[in-house]
Amino acid sequence: MIPAQFDYVRANTIDEALSLLAQNEDAKLLAGGHSLLPAMKLRLAMPSLLVDIGRIKDLAYIREENGRIVIGAATTHYQIESSELLKTICPLLPQCAGHIGDMQVRNKGTIGGSVAHADPAGDWPAAVIALNAEMIIASKNGERSVKADDFFVDLMTTALEAGEILREIRINRSTGRTGQSYVKMHHPASGFAVVGVAANLALNGAGKCQGASIGITGVAARAYRPAGVESALNGATLNDGTIASAATHASDGIDVNGDLFASADYRKHLAEVYTRRAISAAMESAR
Amino acid sequence: MKIAGTHEIQAPREVVYQALTDPQILQRCIPGCESLEKTADNTYVATMKAGVGSVKGTFKGNVRLEDMQAPIHYRMIVDGKGAPGFVKGTGIFNLEERNGGTAIAYEGEMKVGGVIAGVGQRMIEAAAKMLAAHFFKTLDDEIGRGDSWRPASTPP
Repeated sequence: MIPAQFDYVRANTIDEALSLLAQNEDAKLLAGGHSLLPAMKLRLAMPSLLVDIGRIKDLAYIREENGRIVIGAATTHYQIESSELLKTICPLLPQCAGHIGDMQVRNKGTIGGSVAHADPAGDWPAAVIALNAEMIIASKNGERSVKADDFFVDLMTTALEAGEILREIRINRSTGRTGQSYVKMHHPASGFAVVGVAANLALNGAGKCQGASIGITGVAARAYRPAGVESALNGATLNDGTIASAATHASDGIDVNGDLFASADYRKHLAEVYTRRAISAAMESAR
Repeated sequence: MKIAGTHEIQAPREVVYQALTDPQILQRCIPGCESLEKTADNTYVATMKAGVGSVKGTFKGNVRLEDMQAPIHYRMIVDGKGAPGFVKGTGIFNLEERNGGTAIAYEGEMKVGGVIAGVGQRMIEAAAKMLAAHFFKTLDDEIGRGDSWRPASTPP
């Protein structure tokens, strides 16, 4: 449980962190450290340099700007969970944050660290997909933006290139009547999502769905958008029947993972059940 | 853990079989394989730096090709050890002519132990699938690049 030897530098600005990354290709960014440090203690990861970006002041914030919600990458899960602003304008985020790990993890772990790590059972990837978030990535050459759908490439693999830092997550504030929900089956020991489903619905006054955006985590090598569920919901009047029938498409075309805890068939079943629950809960929460 | 699948390549079966048993091509296709040295007929010592995301480990092990029936079938036996744990596995490759190309049906059985099995259990299957996909993608590129087997009349 003792990591291999490594150097540690605390960066004060993003530019400083970018320079350090450019100098050492074996360097890793440290934010909350709740995925990287356990891997290092087991010597599954042995970076020669840790660049700590977790204390860069202007990397942790939650703001509303021009109809958009912007969240700094080093914002902790707890800051999101307890944000009154988000509870009002984007309740999916605080709800999702509350499902992550335990209090200690939420106090230290960050949203940027979690999505950049891209654990196949992490909670944030489902939420940022359902919210159609944009990931703002900084590098020596300036900034670029990647849609959440394109950000998660494969198991623990994202669109981030070497030498890049995820700086901010942007979400368009929804207008009109919306309902959001994140539901999850917790792994009893690790707390990770065996299956986690985020639902973000736009509804009209009569309960007709005018837009559905769903993200599913825990089921495959990466979080994904179940296109079949969304198209079945679009334009439908939501009731138990239409929701149940849409949810049957939760893992269409997906290579479902199996492990000792949950076989692929069981996970497939859970994906459908939790998708149904997420949509129902989102509909009930609609204001 | 079991992993199985089929991969189709637009190339004659002989060419695909040859590539799948050529140590130089295998070395380039196996993700993170740094060296593959012959120690006896169809037996090799391999060094691999395998990893997914920030999790990386160096493995050293033996690769043996058995039951070789060119160009339709062979078996690959892998036995590796590294700091993160050990891997023992058998892979069976069956090649079939299909749609003017070749379908490679593979079936592997792997045992993974040590730290990586203890803490990485929930990801091992996904990681194995990812490495397999990487292997076949590189194989496609390798076979696509060598065009000596293409008939002269093939339009460009």
